[in-house]
Amino acid sequence: MDRRTFLSYNAVAAAIPLSGVALTGLADAASAAVRPKPVDFRSNPGTGSFPDKWICGSSSCMDNTDPAIQVHWYNPHTAILRQNKAYSYEAPFAPLYFGNNRVLLLDEGYVQLRNDYDLRGVVDQCIEDWCRRNGRDPASMELLVAFTHLHDDHFAATNQFADRPNTRYMGLTHEEMVGFWGMTNFPEERVTLDLGGRDILIWGSPGHVVSEFAYYDSYTQILYTGDMFYRGRCYISFWQPWFDSMTRLIEFCDTHPVTHVMGCHVEISRDGQDYAYGMTWQPDEAPVEMTVQQLREAYAHAQKITEPGIYFTGTVFLCNQTRGTTTIDKNPYRYS
Amino acid sequence: MVQSPVSKAVLPGQRPSAQAVSYPNGNPDLGYNPTGARNTDSAIPLHRNKAVIHDYTCDGPAAGDLAFRWIHGSNVAAKNRDPRVQVVQYNEDSFVLRQNVCVHWEAPFTYLLFGNTGALLIDSGATAEAKHYPLRETVDAIVTRWCQARGRRTIPLTIALTSGEDIAQNQGLVQFAGRPDTTIVPKPLEVMKRFYGLGGSWPSGTGRIDLGDRVIEVIPTPGAHKDGVSFYDPYCDFLFTGDLLFPGKINIAHDRDFLASLERLKAFAAKSPVKWILGGHIEMMFVPGKYYRRFTIHKPYERVLEMEPALIDEAILYAREVLGKDMMLIRPDFALFNGVSPDQRTKVWPAGVPNITPPFHF
Repeated sequence: MDRRTFLSYNAVAAAIPLSGVALTGLADAASAAVRPKPVDFRSNPGTGSFPDKWICGSSSCMDNTDPAIQVHWYNPHTAILRQNKAYSYEAPFAPLYFGNNRVLLLDEGYVQLRNDYDLRGVVDQCIEDWCRRNGRDPASMELLVAFTHLHDDHFAATNQFADRPNTRYMGLTHEEMVGFWGMTNFPEERVTLDLGGRDILIWGSPGHVVSEFAYYDSYTQILYTGDMFYRGRCYISFWQPWFDSMTRLIEFCDTHPVTHVMGCHVEISRDGQDYAYGMTWQPDEAPVEMTVQQLREAYAHAQKITEPGIYFTGTVFLCNQTRGTTTIDKNPYRYS
Repeated sequence: MVQSPVSKAVLPGQRPSAQAVSYPNGNPDLGYNPTGARNTDSAIPLHRNKAVIHDYTCDGPAAGDLAFRWIHGSNVAAKNRDPRVQVVQYNEDSFVLRQNVCVHWEAPFTYLLFGNTGALLIDSGATAEAKHYPLRETVDAIVTRWCQARGRRTIPLTIALTSGEDIAQNQGLVQFAGRPDTTIVPKPLEVMKRFYGLGGSWPSGTGRIDLGDRVIEVIPTPGAHKDGVSFYDPYCDFLFTGDLLFPGKINIAHDRDFLASLERLKAFAAKSPVKWILGGHIEMMFVPGKYYRRFTIHKPYERVLEMEPALIDEAILYAREVLGKDMMLIRPDFALFNGVSPDQRTKVWPAGVPNITPPFHF
């Protein structure tokens, strides 16, 4: 099966031999429903807004009463989810993109069990809300559960979707990840995922880890850069692949309109103070979205880097081959 | 069960026979009474008309145990429903309190000791808000109950810190502001020295906190903190060392002071019996040389709190090794961080120590 066939393959039909009658019923219901006019994602870019402040933990974790997952609707067709810091210190972000036929969930947070962290329920609710607003049947929407890269804080909750009808999820190996997007030439190849009138451009972005993608949504024009570039400590495990990935991002920004560059975490305050690895309270955290200019500045800064070490670009910390979990903290009680 | 012939429990209203020894509350010599039961107040009269004066002199360390497992947080901190302050009674006059890991990751230990004329609270926790960490409420409850058991109305409380500057140990102090009959050892270093009578001799010499037949000695031990002190309890034979020596990542603030303080502790332990060293935190796991990183809110594989006194010698040995060098060093029961980030990592593994990776928990 080639990539195009694979991507346009009807997952419902494919699922029938596995789970039988119930799904057939759903598919019938879906096709019987009168489909309203499709949303036009192509003629206008979808503007939207980020919240002034995300929920960001609390001084005492066990007294945190915020929801496990904050759902922010960036615009009517794009939700951005964020895990609560009191549920996992990694608190990754997770965009949920809606197209006319498919929904794409990128990243799943750092808690596995549904009774600890009901990602599945929240995603189902978002899909239901969107379908109600747009006159669709939730059962007719295929859900793609993917992630940016092969780290457990980005795929831990994937199994919550294992029994969900009309759902495909990414496997946990490099080959399965690349195969999920039908790539044959990782990382240079750029593929287009059609969510139904809404194109997501996907290409390889290794450097933080080997298996990582960059995702560009042609509707909101948000460039989602995963953990290889985010507002915090970018742990660069492999310098040259990372630098090449940065070059690809810059070249992409030269040729495509990009409204925001967005990473998976925030680990820095508005005034540039580092929130150390593992902190569960970030009272003054910086916004998750960055500008293309900030990406370019970081790239310019990266061009001067020749040695392993921690470099601050003004926006992010580039932790070049310092190993994960490194921070710039010092012992505050030192005296002489 | 066959009654032992020496057991002659006396029923209420019965007169004990003249020749046989009677044990109104049970014979402490019986096998099922743990060693040291005779050192406790288990045989005090039910109805007292004056305060019980406890005899704190005993052969060897006073009996007691830390048999409970410490609460250790949970994977999803927001769903933790453990007590905010875990209270473990070591013996009738000694309590160990631990802050819930999901309230503050430092999860410090706080110690409450009673004597005939006073009580001492060593350290005060990492959280100031009483509704998150009700230390004052808990201490008040223990004091009230202890006073009832001893036939008293009240007992004066002294609050001392192993380090006044350590924000993982001094935050709870504010809860005790205005508490009647309470002395708080001042936090600024100079005032604190004068309070203990160490103004001229610091860091040598020792201070005293007299709890009434239980005199806690105060040993200056700067090194992890500029104003660090350790406390010695001659009743339980405990050394409370705070951040200077504990099963965890010891961040050295001044390496020469650190070494000197350990040597002072060693000299102290040579002339006074020490059963255990109790530090302010646990960060090591129960496999040797592995520890939890900072900010961890779930620590299911924690090491036990208590350390053997022989560990002072080991700490001295390796404090000499890091002296003057910016490096970290792993030992089975602690890790030393000198002049490096508290998140520093190393690939150097100590020779002869099994390298075991405990299972990771989600």
